[in-house]
Amino acid sequence: MTELLQFTVTGLTVGMVYSLIALGFVLVWKSSGVANLSLGQLVLLFAWFTYGMLVQAGLPLWLGFVLVIIFAIIIGWIIERFILRPLIAQPILSLIAVTLGLAFFIEGAVNFIWPRSVAALPRLFPREPINIGSAVVSQEYLWAAGISLLLFGLLTLFFKYHKTGIAMRATADDQMAVQACGIPVTRIFSRSWMFACVVAAVGGVLMSSIGGITHSLVHTGLKSFSVVILGGLDSFLGAIIAGPIIGLAENIGGGYLTPLTWPGIREVIPFIIIIIVMLIKPFGLFGEERIERI
Amino acid sequence: MLIVLLVVLSTGPLYWGNFWLGVANLIGITIIAATGLNILTGYCGQLSIGHAGFIAVGAYTSAILTNRFELPFLVGLICAGLIAGFVGMLFGMPSLRVKGFYLAISTIAAQFIIIWIINQWADVTGGYNGIVAPIASIGGLQLKSQSSQYFLILIIMVMVIFFAKNLARTRIGRAFVAIRDNDLAAEVMGINLFRYKLLAFFIGCFLAGIAGSLLAHWIGKVSPEHFSMTESILYVGIIIIGGLGSTTGPIFGVIFIRMLQQGISFLSPVLESTFALPAGFTTGIGPMVFGLIIILFLILEPRGISHRWQLFKASYRLWPFSY
Repeated sequence: MTELLQFTVTGLTVGMVYSLIALGFVLVWKSSGVANLSLGQLVLLFAWFTYGMLVQAGLPLWLGFVLVIIFAIIIGWIIERFILRPLIAQPILSLIAVTLGLAFFIEGAVNFIWPRSVAALPRLFPREPINIGSAVVSQEYLWAAGISLLLFGLLTLFFKYHKTGIAMRATADDQMAVQACGIPVTRIFSRSWMFACVVAAVGGVLMSSIGGITHSLVHTGLKSFSVVILGGLDSFLGAIIAGPIIGLAENIGGGYLTPLTWPGIREVIPFIIIIIVMLIKPFGLFGEERIERI
Repeated sequence: MLIVLLVVLSTGPLYWGNFWLGVANLIGITIIAATGLNILTGYCGQLSIGHAGFIAVGAYTSAILTNRFELPFLVGLICAGLIAGFVGMLFGMPSLRVKGFYLAISTIAAQFIIIWIINQWADVTGGYNGIVAPIASIGGLQLKSQSSQYFLILIIMVMVIFFAKNLARTRIGRAFVAIRDNDLAAEVMGINLFRYKLLAFFIGCFLAGIAGSLLAHWIGKVSPEHFSMTESILYVGIIIIGGLGSTTGPIFGVIFIRMLQQGISFLSPVLESTFALPAGFTTGIGPMVFGLIIILFLILEPRGISHRWQLFKASYRLWPFSY
């Protein structure tokens, strides 16, 4: 019982961070129709940048985080302006492939600037673990979940009431109509990339405060793909709900299946879920089913 | 001109050193695998980011059959192709309902699941340590040296290119192109999507399996790190740089990329020591250059090197009256 509770709490909290990263993906997909496969590498890049600011440059925490957010915004702008804008209206194959190229580039750049493979961020959250029922949870997990929830709330409010947020939703709905209304669509694309990068940065910092900065952060990004597939590519709600589901499946499944099968099944469960979802319900739980015409 | 090229290729070992023969072998193997991916992605339009996983299936099948069951190499080679083809069909099944990004993700999933199985099923595959692939022998002929392997790879490569070139002109090839351009319209015209999509996966992964088998016996030892996700992306990059949907595309792409890799691995330590660059230079510069090249090609020349080659040939033929 204790075990189950432990797995549940860990799964739910980690799942929230997956959701957060997945939101960045959904945002870009909805507004510009680009599938961002470099998500994992972006998470890695921002985690290392945080390390660079906080440890190597020795800046205070608040200044470091502000710089990380600014850096993320700049990266988002650069990606949209110089890589994806020339490719507007190209087939989806090129759009996917260009993000693969980007993933390669970012990974190389990370190796280039930070040749070490492992590092740890300074302690951001209090050290003492907390008891929930009979489970013991270290505080990082709870903080990560809390910050993710807070960001979900903020983003929801932003999309509901802020002018830019409404424009972004409108762009997702109908680009032509939005253009006709006098909203610069390319600027909306650029904004959505900045958002995606910022949530990737927050997700990267949260994940690396839990497990340190390793190359497995790239896998965190890949797991977010299973979140978006399960939740539906174009659904914010889907991403938020599917994240904890994937987290739970990964931790509970990993916890109980490892003795039955081979070690490391934890890492593969999200991918098995992807295949199953594809075969049964390819558009996910909340995704919009596309009806095609010739 | 083709004949001259073939003569040069088949007499290659006479004037290339062992090092360059090794590079030529690697290029040949990669061309076989990239041709498979080109049929799947370039002709049939089904993007696969798990190609290295399918190559791994072929490599391990061949290594296990020849090592543990002591079957002859040719049996291993054929079985490697067939089993990789069937595994490809299995993971190609989602392609009937989804496409584009969804398919890309499901092939990534295939890649991870395959590598995980290889890593963990240690009794058969040798796990992280890998497995030794014995030296290939056909009849009584032991293919020990680089040059004897070179001829084997060359023959298979020429056969594969010939096959791919002709496939594009058959009913199957035309059906693939129709599916790529609009699968709904293709279905309305009477093309059985289920059959042809799975056939594309089978052919693509069959060639991947053949390449995997050759790779295994060429290196002599296979281990999972030869077949990482990075390799899969590399293959997608190769066919994009070369040019999707043309037979010459993969050839140009592979030669370009492998030569670039040789150049980088030769130059970067030299640069690092002469200019006192940071230590990550050698490991980081390769992926950076490669990613940048994919991005630049997609933005500036989405039809790849083979399109440039066509343009060059046309202007050469029409010169000096280019109108």
